[in-house]
Amino acid sequence: MAAGQAPVGRPLLRRVARLGLANERIFYGVLGFVGVSLIWEITSNLGLFRRSLLSSPSLIWGAAAADFGSGTIWPHITTSLTEWGIGFVTALAIGIPLGLTIGTFRRVDYFLSVLLSGMYSTPKAALLPLIILVAGIGLQSKVIMVFLLAFFSVVVSIVVWVHSVSERHLDIARSFGASRWLAFRSVVLPSTVPFVLAGIRIAAGRALVGVVIAELVSANEGIGFYISFFGTFLDTSRVMLGVVLLGLFGIVLGEVIRSFEKRFDVWRPEIR
Amino acid sequence: MATGPLALSARGVRMEYRDRKADTALVAIEEMDLDVGDGEFVSLLGPSGCGKSTFLKIVNGLLLSSAGEIKLRTVAKGREDAMVFQDAALFPWYSVLDNVAYGLVCAGVARDEARKRAMPFIDLVGIGGFEHKYPYQLSGGMQQRANLARALTVDASILLMDEPFAALDAQTREVMQSELLRIWNAARKTVIFVTHQIDEAVYLSDRVVVMSARPGRILADIPIDLGRPRELDVKRSPEFASYESQIWKLLASQHQRPAIGSPSAEA
Repeated sequence: MAAGQAPVGRPLLRRVARLGLANERIFYGVLGFVGVSLIWEITSNLGLFRRSLLSSPSLIWGAAAADFGSGTIWPHITTSLTEWGIGFVTALAIGIPLGLTIGTFRRVDYFLSVLLSGMYSTPKAALLPLIILVAGIGLQSKVIMVFLLAFFSVVVSIVVWVHSVSERHLDIARSFGASRWLAFRSVVLPSTVPFVLAGIRIAAGRALVGVVIAELVSANEGIGFYISFFGTFLDTSRVMLGVVLLGLFGIVLGEVIRSFEKRFDVWRPEIR
Repeated sequence: MATGPLALSARGVRMEYRDRKADTALVAIEEMDLDVGDGEFVSLLGPSGCGKSTFLKIVNGLLLSSAGEIKLRTVAKGREDAMVFQDAALFPWYSVLDNVAYGLVCAGVARDEARKRAMPFIDLVGIGGFEHKYPYQLSGGMQQRANLARALTVDASILLMDEPFAALDAQTREVMQSELLRIWNAARKTVIFVTHQIDEAVYLSDRVVVMSARPGRILADIPIDLGRPRELDVKRSPEFASYESQIWKLLASQHQRPAIGSPSAEA
């Protein structure tokens, strides 16, 4: 190495390295994403596969610039977000209280157990033809699909965690004569909230699956529709753009919910 | 035997766990009669599985006995008894202050008022300044101090202590023992203390009630005449040693019996 380069090159390298260590998660995350994109771009330019079938990052970028520039993609995004939002929030609004009730009251659990475990393991896509018959091909059928996919994961994950509440902690509440409601607030809720949020994070992802499935089958707007529409025209760059947008949404969603999880975890040192 | 007014009187207490399928019953406590005088410090000592913790839970109301009755001295207000649990008995999601105040909150006291009333007990057990920490930030000994403070805060007349120092290392345990005597002296409570450590029972107690291996019953009820207040060096006295060997012989006679494992009785 030339003597003159050292003072310039080394601190820069060191600074990059230090940045990488401070935000290791982000650093390696970006590195992985950029690296794989780069390999994809290079191999597609080298003609290792047909670009018209598998596209390339630069072509996807071009499609994004065009459709965001003209604004034609926005209605699809807002439509999908609306379907996802209504279905998911409804699933939480009904699923969380129901899950807590089932977890707390043994007889309610028994009463619903066959229905719930049956529905949980059924592939919800199988219900789509029925849903379309009943609710048509508009917003409603999508919302129902999203709801079904998210609802059962929410309920089941909450029931599991309520059941795993420590008997020892419940004994303390009983020992000091806590009312059922106080025991619920002081023991069941705090010990389940962090895990319920993890369940919600999974449910949010499944709700997104619901959006896409419903739109792929029958729709005239939405990201799922966008993907299947351009698929029939062999416009694979736009198909990929749809997939990338869904992926981005999934990442943002996961991070938002994870930040909530951290806030509820002040008392658990190992997670921070 | 207890003289003067009684804090607790148990007659014919029996505990068995029935296994309906096998049509068998596991007898955890065969029969127990026990009187504890007001302000007395009584230890229940015995091998694991002898039903000593089970007895505490019955007194506390966490378990229903199969037979017999327990009378506690009725108090004008508050609880008759409060439990000091074994290790890991604080809520990890509450600060120390909220943990100590929890018993009062259970009794219907408003949270702010409960916190205010918890503070003197946090100071009494020697963890003043740590009230806003979470349990994981405290050592095992300090957690057990908070556990004790929670039971003291509800101002029950009887403290039920279920092997509270079992998970502590030897040095911390000795410190906690002498601390407990200091606090007991200050708070003037009746204490029923469950342990399987002979020296702990002798050092702390006015009476040591020795229990047999399962099915549990009382083998001996030994008054400990070592005077009060006691310093830790009483453990080096010949009287202390003779109490220890007397109890050790009683327990050793139990070792010949085959132990039958049971998951439920001593949990």
